[in-house]
Amino acid sequence: MLEILTEPLSEPFFVRALAAVALSGATCACLGAYVVLRRMAFVSTALTHSILPGVVGALLLGVSPYLGALAAALLTAAGAAWLASRKGTSEDSAVGVMLSVMFAAGVALMQQANSWRDFAGLLFGSVVSVGKDDLLVIGGTATIVLFGLRALHKELELASFDEEYASLLGARPALMRVVLLVLVALGSVACVRLVGALLTTALFVIPAATGVLLGRTVPQVMAWGVGCALVGGGAGLYLSYYLPSVPSGAGIVLCCTLPYLAARLLAPRR
Amino acid sequence: MKRAFDFLARQLGDAVFSVLPRLAYAPAEKSGCGGLAVSAAALAASARPDGPLAFRAATFEIPCGCRTALIGPNGSGKSTLLRVLAGLTVPRSGQVLVAGEPPRLGRRRVAYLAQRPHLAENFPLRLRRLVQMGTYAHHGWFEECHHGDQDVDAALARLGLTELADRPVHTLSGGQLQRGLIARAVVQGAEVLLLDEPYAALDQASREIIDRFLFEQGEAFTVVMATHDPADLGRFDRILELRDGAVVTRHACSGHDHRHA
Repeated sequence: MLEILTEPLSEPFFVRALAAVALSGATCACLGAYVVLRRMAFVSTALTHSILPGVVGALLLGVSPYLGALAAALLTAAGAAWLASRKGTSEDSAVGVMLSVMFAAGVALMQQANSWRDFAGLLFGSVVSVGKDDLLVIGGTATIVLFGLRALHKELELASFDEEYASLLGARPALMRVVLLVLVALGSVACVRLVGALLTTALFVIPAATGVLLGRTVPQVMAWGVGCALVGGGAGLYLSYYLPSVPSGAGIVLCCTLPYLAARLLAPRR
Repeated sequence: MKRAFDFLARQLGDAVFSVLPRLAYAPAEKSGCGGLAVSAAALAASARPDGPLAFRAATFEIPCGCRTALIGPNGSGKSTLLRVLAGLTVPRSGQVLVAGEPPRLGRRRVAYLAQRPHLAENFPLRLRRLVQMGTYAHHGWFEECHHGDQDVDAALARLGLTELADRPVHTLSGGQLQRGLIARAVVQGAEVLLLDEPYAALDQASREIIDRFLFEQGEAFTVVMATHDPADLGRFDRILELRDGAVVTRHACSGHDHRHA
């Protein structure tokens, strides 16, 4: 029994993947608390999906895929904000427009690169793909995101709970929203290797949704979310290791859903 | 075990702030207001930027410490006037000073309570943390405030909320929440309280506690309250009526002026 758990640990790629899933899972779970509490799940989906054209474009241009992914996510956020600032377009539809445009651009670029197979890992994640450099990037983004969340915790909490009072105090709720979108863009870039562009949004939503069921303060929501992401992420990697036909992203998301369902069924009604 | 973990988490969390500068949310306010909490001259404003004017020529004064009722029919501009004084709505024309300065966002000395506050639903927040938000005005960016703040405890006690301090905000009744929001304004250190129909849909117990707090404790703050209840008006020092786009002062403040002479 124990061998099932220890055997994969002898593979360096698996240990790297475990470290990556722990770092990016914890990061996304903490960020996800705000994504869920502020009902930003749709925006986060748009940001994570727009990584696709970013990475493919970067590969075509020969620059770092992480830079491409980050640029595309930020472009999506800025584009949605710009569209929504015009009269007659709600934020919801602005995000919908940017999501479909960016994703379509990604698919078009993939045809251009003419090798759909290479991009399966990009869409759904791949457990073998995490290299040492990737681990550095993931660690770096995790540090930036967690530092930002900690430094602005009370302002983010205030702006999410009572936006008008935040304005009255001068705590800049609109700026906090921008900060949050930038952090979500950074966090999704950190996940793309393991979870893939299509499934990264689940790491923002599912652990945090579990946390919301169990936590009574924002730090508690984050703590439960991190727990869910660590358990689900680890289990997902093992699943993907023993069933190689299951991409790591799919395994991680499916395994994160189990603690969510357990919490949903067992949590006291609030 | 849990206490040790909390302690470690707090030390680690606060370490972040040691490398960051402290910044105030907004420029510091001038102190003193020359005896007038509010003075407005020919003030005009509308509820929406492109909407019709709610009032055109509001001219009035409210001395410091004066409990003022703001009355008028629905749509007469009571809420818009309060939002202008709070700095949330920019007036079209005219002059106005609140606590000695033109209204703007980021003022610790002015607090505003909306008729229906837009709070996020089911937000995981305890009442104590809600009241504590008033202290953010004193802290500014890059500083955390922790439990055990004496001002927060005192404000909770004065509004009869001590036993509810650890309750999640979304489990509170409308009246308990309203008291919490007033406690937050007290903790903020506000001198001018702008209240938009705070008694709408309150239970009797909450209403009495808020009444006692505003009218009987001899507070050093000015109250401007929009109200619909004609039975109430006797308790106010001054009544401002919004009528046909102008403000009519019904009777002047007397009893409280000596405190600020």
